[in-house]
Amino acid sequence: MKPRAFTPGTVAMLAGLAAFFGLFLVYPVVWMLRGAFVVDGRFTLEFFAMAFRSPLVVGALTNSFLIGALVTIFTTLLALPLAHLFTRYDFPCKTLLSALLLAPMILPPFVGAIGMRQFFGTFGSVNLLFGLNIDWLGGGGFWGVVIMLTLNLYPIMFLNVSAAMANVDPTLREAAENMGAPPWRVFRTVTLPLIVPGCFAGAILVFIWAFTDLGTPLIFGLSRVVSVQIFDRVTDVGTNPMGYVLVCVVLLLTVALFVVSKRLVGAKRYEMLARGHTAGSERRLSGWRAALVLAGIGAVVAMALVPHASVVLQSLADRWFFTVLPSEMSFDHYMEVFAHPLTVSSVRNSLFYSSLSAGVDLVLGVMIAYLLTRRKIPGASVLDAMAMLPLALPGLVLAFGYVGGFNWKLDWLNPRDNPTVLLVVAYSVRRLPYIVRSAYAGFQQTSITLEEASLNLGASAWRTLRKITIPLVMANLVAGTVLTFSYAMLEVSDSLILAMREKFYPITKAIYSLMGRIEPNAPSVASALGVLGMLLLAASLFAASKVLGKKMGQLFRAG
Amino acid sequence: MNVILRNLTKRFDSTLVVNGVSLDVADGELFFLLGPSGCGKTTLLRLLAGFYQPDAGEIRFGPRPMNGVPPNRRNTGMVFQNYALWPHLNVFENVAYGLDVRKVTGAERSRRVEEALAIVQMNDYAKRSPAQLSGGQQQRIALARALVIRPDVLLLDEPLSNLDAKLRLEMREEIRRIHRETKLTTIYVTHDQQEALALADRIALMRDGGIEQVGTPLELYRSPRSAFVSEFLGAAHFIEGNVVAVLDSHHVRITTPIGELECAADAQPGQRVTCAVRPNDVIALRG
Repeated sequence: MKPRAFTPGTVAMLAGLAAFFGLFLVYPVVWMLRGAFVVDGRFTLEFFAMAFRSPLVVGALTNSFLIGALVTIFTTLLALPLAHLFTRYDFPCKTLLSALLLAPMILPPFVGAIGMRQFFGTFGSVNLLFGLNIDWLGGGGFWGVVIMLTLNLYPIMFLNVSAAMANVDPTLREAAENMGAPPWRVFRTVTLPLIVPGCFAGAILVFIWAFTDLGTPLIFGLSRVVSVQIFDRVTDVGTNPMGYVLVCVVLLLTVALFVVSKRLVGAKRYEMLARGHTAGSERRLSGWRAALVLAGIGAVVAMALVPHASVVLQSLADRWFFTVLPSEMSFDHYMEVFAHPLTVSSVRNSLFYSSLSAGVDLVLGVMIAYLLTRRKIPGASVLDAMAMLPLALPGLVLAFGYVGGFNWKLDWLNPRDNPTVLLVVAYSVRRLPYIVRSAYAGFQQTSITLEEASLNLGASAWRTLRKITIPLVMANLVAGTVLTFSYAMLEVSDSLILAMREKFYPITKAIYSLMGRIEPNAPSVASALGVLGMLLLAASLFAASKVLGKKMGQLFRAG
Repeated sequence: MNVILRNLTKRFDSTLVVNGVSLDVADGELFFLLGPSGCGKTTLLRLLAGFYQPDAGEIRFGPRPMNGVPPNRRNTGMVFQNYALWPHLNVFENVAYGLDVRKVTGAERSRRVEEALAIVQMNDYAKRSPAQLSGGQQQRIALARALVIRPDVLLLDEPLSNLDAKLRLEMREEIRRIHRETKLTTIYVTHDQQEALALADRIALMRDGGIEQVGTPLELYRSPRSAFVSEFLGAAHFIEGNVVAVLDSHHVRITTPIGELECAADAQPGQRVTCAVRPNDVIALRG
């Protein structure tokens, strides 16, 4: 039984969490809603009417929506067959391939975009190699954004779909086969309906990320999208209500989608029977079948690694104009990363912000997971919703709310003076769901009787938490913290918006700012910085996956 | 349809799970595969359903060789241990699935589903979802789903093991009745010797992937071929002894530590044997 008693500790934790969420989540959202709907103390839809009469706003919304929808469709089409192969069959190099498939997650899409421009631009490598003159990134970068985001986000979809498929009791498929259904029919009538909730949860995440991604369209020069429009309005946030209107449209859409997905997934989550006979459910492939599967997966991996390869090449390129490969290569740009004042300070800033935010997340995550699993508290569902809300809350929206809401005369809190606090908080809030999930899973796996034994022997609740519970869930906490840290290092939209003065730039903003310079080697230095970030993220994801094993996928699910 | 197995062998990695099994199941027979867990009986059933392919040996349904035929072309009706009812389909749709695959439509489809539900006495539940049914009811639906396609062979994998004791007795009678009504060749896997003794036309007792003995329940009970068979079919005392004389074609006299006994056996003088005495065959008289 969970103890119901309101110990002073519980009350203190609840109060602390309420203050944190109130100030850094609820307040900025309310501030933005007020900015969009209220003028002179009256409720109005005037700004919205104005926005929807503007062809620029309508065009941006349409483009963003199309990007979101196309990326969702493409990632689904990629993820479904991949997940099918990985859950049903065993083939050579399976572990290696599954790791490579997740490689896109270590590269922020906007960094990949830098290299992709060099490969697929009108005067890029591909056209030069084949003597073509095709605008691969056509539509002012529209297709570039779609392709880049598809390549970047399909792992999220893959993890969600795989988890859903693995959850389907194999005897349900066998029963269909036994009734005479051929494989395709089994998939259509049994597997597909059962994995829809999982797919849908993944699709919502992918849609929201693609819909609100800021860095990629910026690099491809696609300005008619909602995210860039919002970004452009950060500077006149105090005077122009249009920014609030756009942010609110995004916010309402994402929250609505999230709620719908929760409802649908919740209502259709079938209680799967786990008792059936499961031995040998992975069929081993060999010969030409295995070759075919390897070729297919290899092709996807190759496509997915193109952005990485292009960034690495770009980072080594001394001269790369109108040639297929760079005409001169060197490691100079890496040297420059460690010498240039902007890049040096950005690496230091990022490390500082990310460590702090990982620490904040660790404390908050343990508190929340502890309260949810071990204490009977009023409003547990509200707390859970608060902790998960950031999944639906684009970084863009949160950062915009911070810029608008914290324009106070406190120079340590106002991002115009010093963004440190807000950057750390923004990173923490954005990645809180991951660490809460990680810790929650740890607490759930640890039998409560182990704690009861400690209490029974006379230890206090605090001592039990410290001496018994935390050590038992340590692995999960470490994994969650590592993930939080590395994602904070590569957080894009909130960094671009909140870090306004060069001295406070984190890595991502430094990359973006380098790209804006006219020095000829700027893209190469930016790429070198990107490669370093990539290596860091790869190492930490690898470490986290070693600890979490197959549960890794759970961190990236919406349900 | 009769079922013929010849030297069937199945390995998982290096473990031999089914080891050279040969069996002849007659048309319309209620045939039991009985044995302790891990003896390979479920694997044998799944070989029949086609979920596994044998490493060696032959499977035939009547005249048709079944090796290499995928599960969806075998026309077997299987009842899974966990029932495997599809949670996204209601009872009617679950039962109709096999008919849809066979392109049975319209009035014929509804008639046959109703008929199958009537056999298992579940007509009133057609619109329910599986989650709203009790274990016994799910069991009946799983049976109806297997029966509706008029399978050549009905395969039952521990069908009663997830039910409570009372329901188990009830469903046992149901299965007996349904088998009598449908006359389907039925292969029934269980580890419960009482189920097997009560229902079976014939039993194959399995051990370590092989067949220990095949026969009617009475044969296995009365003339077990080994101590394992005898013990598995019910508690017994074992007495070691030596054959001293053959009395007739079925009986011998043996010397044992508790004296000389006459017993049913096919053995030669001088042979060392173990005789089994069932407690309920020993009567204690007041002294």
